[in-house]
Amino acid sequence: MRIWAKFIGYARFKSPWLLHFDCGSCNGCDIEILACLTPVYDLERFGIVNVGNPLHADVLLVSGTVNPRNRIVLENLFNQMPAPKVVVAIGACGLSGGIFRGAYNVVGGIDRVIPVDVYVPGCPPRPEAIIDGVRLGLEKLRTGGVTLDSKDGPIGATKENHPCSRTN
Amino acid sequence: MRNALLALSGLLAAPLAGSLLIGLDRILTARLQSRIGPPVLQPIFDVVKLFGKERVVVNAWQAFSAYAYLAAVAVAVVLFFIRSDLLVIFLIQAVGTVFIVVGALASASPFSQVGGYRELLQSLACEPLLVLVIAGIYLETGSFAITAVDRWPQPLMVRLPLLFISLLFVMAVKLRKSPFDFAACRHAHQELVGGVLTDYSGPFLALIEVGHWFETVLMLGICSLFWADNWAAMLALAGAAYLTMVWLDNVTARMNWRLLFGYAWLLGLPLALINLFWLYRG
Amino acid sequence: MHFQRVKPVRTTEIIVAILILWPLAAAILCYLVRSDRLRNKLVPVTGVLLTTAALLLSIHIPFSFGLEPSAEKVIDVLILSIDILLLGVILFIGLRHRHRLIPILAILQLVLIGFNEFYPVPTPRVNPIVHCDALSLLLVLIVSIVGSVICVQALAYMKTHEAHLQLSASRQHRFFAVMLLFLAAMNGLVLADKLSYLYFFFEITTICSYLLIAHDATPAAITNALRALWINSFGGLALVAAVLWFARFHGINAFQQFKADDFRSAVWLLPLAFMCLAGFVKAAQFPFQSWLLGAMVAPTPVSALLHSSTMVKAGVYLVLRVAPFFQDTFLGLCVALFGAFAFLAAAALALGQRNGKRVLAYSTISNLGLMFACAGFGTPMALTAAVILLLFHAVTKALLFLCVGAIEQGIDSRDIEDMRGLYTRMPLTALITVAGVIFMIMPPFGLLVGKWMALEAAARNLAALLMLALGSALTVMYWARWAGTLMSDPLDGRFRPESQPVLTWGALGILSFGIVALSTAVPWLYGALLQAAAGDVPAYSVHNGAMENPTGIFSVFPLCLAAGFGFILALGAVRHARQARIVSPYMCGAQQPEPGVFTGPMNQPVKSEAGNYYFAFLFGEERLTGWINAGALLLLTLLIGGTLR
Repeated sequence: MRIWAKFIGYARFKSPWLLHFDCGSCNGCDIEILACLTPVYDLERFGIVNVGNPLHADVLLVSGTVNPRNRIVLENLFNQMPAPKVVVAIGACGLSGGIFRGAYNVVGGIDRVIPVDVYVPGCPPRPEAIIDGVRLGLEKLRTGGVTLDSKDGPIGATKENHPCSRTN
Repeated sequence: MRNALLALSGLLAAPLAGSLLIGLDRILTARLQSRIGPPVLQPIFDVVKLFGKERVVVNAWQAFSAYAYLAAVAVAVVLFFIRSDLLVIFLIQAVGTVFIVVGALASASPFSQVGGYRELLQSLACEPLLVLVIAGIYLETGSFAITAVDRWPQPLMVRLPLLFISLLFVMAVKLRKSPFDFAACRHAHQELVGGVLTDYSGPFLALIEVGHWFETVLMLGICSLFWADNWAAMLALAGAAYLTMVWLDNVTARMNWRLLFGYAWLLGLPLALINLFWLYRG
Repeated sequence: MHFQRVKPVRTTEIIVAILILWPLAAAILCYLVRSDRLRNKLVPVTGVLLTTAALLLSIHIPFSFGLEPSAEKVIDVLILSIDILLLGVILFIGLRHRHRLIPILAILQLVLIGFNEFYPVPTPRVNPIVHCDALSLLLVLIVSIVGSVICVQALAYMKTHEAHLQLSASRQHRFFAVMLLFLAAMNGLVLADKLSYLYFFFEITTICSYLLIAHDATPAAITNALRALWINSFGGLALVAAVLWFARFHGINAFQQFKADDFRSAVWLLPLAFMCLAGFVKAAQFPFQSWLLGAMVAPTPVSALLHSSTMVKAGVYLVLRVAPFFQDTFLGLCVALFGAFAFLAAAALALGQRNGKRVLAYSTISNLGLMFACAGFGTPMALTAAVILLLFHAVTKALLFLCVGAIEQGIDSRDIEDMRGLYTRMPLTALITVAGVIFMIMPPFGLLVGKWMALEAAARNLAALLMLALGSALTVMYWARWAGTLMSDPLDGRFRPESQPVLTWGALGILSFGIVALSTAVPWLYGALLQAAAGDVPAYSVHNGAMENPTGIFSVFPLCLAAGFGFILALGAVRHARQARIVSPYMCGAQQPEPGVFTGPMNQPVKSEAGNYYFAFLFGEERLTGWINAGALLLLTLLIGGTLR
């Protein structure tokens, strides 16, 4: 049984499928993320595939600042991902809100909405940094259960407890 | 007893062979794009990982569809290994397709729904071709049983070359290869996200992957019947067909369904019919 | 021929009398005594009696018997006068509704019959008049068992139906009288060996069909009933012409006098072609399909009983009965091509339909076409395919029609798009409908065994093979689409069957269980009944539950075992999956809590829609029907003209 569990852990490490969500970034980070998939960086070496579907994904890459409107989408996507899953926040905006932090129309960093496992700083970060971030996340995936299971109730900030939330 | 052994070996060897083939396919594709590509065991890692994921369902009946699909293609492969009736094998693998579609339509997501319809269109385009290919084998050997092909003194390819081309059409569709991969796609993501597979997830997606390994082996098996003289020729023919598919996958762009029907029914069907006509006259 | 002494009445005669006369008596009783209580008892009793009688009959086949000359004379006169009466009634209906064709067709039949009576030719006396072989028995079993199940379910259906219509006075007595009369007529039709009796029962089924389609008395019902009447009268005309031809030119007036060696010239083949034509009309083949489509306005039990599972099978029965005589002739080839063409064309039309009952109607035409194609090939394998298809199509289509009836009463619509996500509203009915679809298109169920045999039998005929291959692919498409649509929403909470009358659940249960049981028992059934029904030469041998011959092998038992195992496994998976986390389908993250709804502009909920692909521009009725009718007419001309060589 333990061998099987280890094998699954190894397989998780070897086969992370990405979902990339842009929370309204300036596209600088997105270009760098997509650059990772090109032959130059060849993410598929690590078994990484960009699936574009939360139901298939293991790793959620988020770039950009969360705002009240797309936080719902972000939560939805995160909830649709089957556990175990890892969230990687990319770039200054995703980490903290970046230059938009404190603006009236943004919520802030990704971790205000969903739990983040890996922070990749930069504006934008280089592809090498992104790949390194994902790899760090995979170390967490291998052991499994890092990220809260979404069965455990509301994750991160909720509409009720956040001052910037939409109140209509 | 012999049949039981053959069936068992089919059940074990087919998915293994299928997964390795797909692994090779991914490496080859990567090399064609000047990349290094994933390890050859990548499909196995993918499936094991999927089995280890949380069960998340959109509609509980998708579980039924996934299991039924796997069961259908596995039975088809077993029947192939025990050299049963080709037409029965065809009918049973069609069951698999129907269940995948029913499962996809069981979700309200438009991606999944449109993917389901496209999958139906694909099977509508290629199943008549497969029936004609099988009928051609019957006309040549006098039986639908594969044992008759094994006993046949000369390779089928000699008298059924055009039917083999039609079979390649079917194979491209069944293996989800470009340009006929508009129901679901294995590479990158397409305009339909995951197409017919969008709302299958975790272990259920894994079942469908395993089913796809079976299907790959089944299609290559049918291909190999065209040169069933000796093992080397069978493997060579199946390998060549698979390489053709990989090549085709990399050099073509996705079609829409109108073009698929154009190719399958205006090119594939006439080719098959011409070949059948020879057989009737000959 | 030889003088018969008064003899004791035999069991077979009693059983045949029960099969024909009991439903007749019950019909009269139903009509005269307008009591719900009586009807609610009489119909089930009739059903049980017919079922028992039909099963008892199976011990005695094959048998035939005649009557004493005096008795036969009386019956002949009786039947002739009722024939004329029926034609008079048809004439009257035509005149009253100012229909142009019905009176002409009725008068033509009257003229033919009258001419035959005024200028009789001496024909040898017919003995026997009743002949029951395996084919007849198969039909009797279908009529008596499936028919009874449908009639009993109709008790529940008609109650709701009349409540929907808010009638001032119940008309159920009339409805059930005609339904029971129909059962009697069908049993008579398949048991009669004398051609004039066959024609008589044929006419009764036509009248029954008219009365039942017109039952709701709406303008649409009347129009469609009249259409059914004139088209079927045309079939009657063809049949009476064939019967009289055989009687006057060949001195033949019963099937038992047919000899395969005779049928080599036009004078023999032409009446046979007319008989096939009558069969095609009854089975609503192109270009006569419009009556069957119109007949769908009738209450659903009528569609289930007359217009899918039994009456249309009379046409197939007629052609199968004469199939041995046109084997290896040009006529046989034409019948095969005609049937294969109908199979393909009806499947294409079904693909373009979104009305559930019309899909069923086209699918019926399509399957009947396949049976005709098999009858046309005429090889032992093809005939086996035809009888297997006949049996399983009757049961499966009855099930599907009852399902659609229940759905229609539940959601007030026959539109497939309205059935989207029916699983959340009527879970059990939806599941049974999906099961019905699976029985239609998936091995190892009986219909697919039949289709497999048909394809293998057709492989030597390139044109037919192509049409069958294309038709099968279209068939899979329109059925799978429907099944998927029914299941398209997830069910919240526990699975709770909706409330339906016990009779409906009973009928659906019996039919589904029957299909599964019969499918598993195909190899055994083949040995016991179907092989004899398909002809003298066995086409398959049965080993270890597999049907095999040099052409192919279908391992029915092992595959049923695998299917059963897979079913249990998959059902277990569903139970397990119900405990899994339910997530919303992928909608780019913008989904709302209700299924299929996403957040649109201005934060407004928008329902996502992915309409079924119906390809109206390609497979629409307006677009295709004309071409298909033209093609069918050409083939029919070829079929009749080909006999004149």
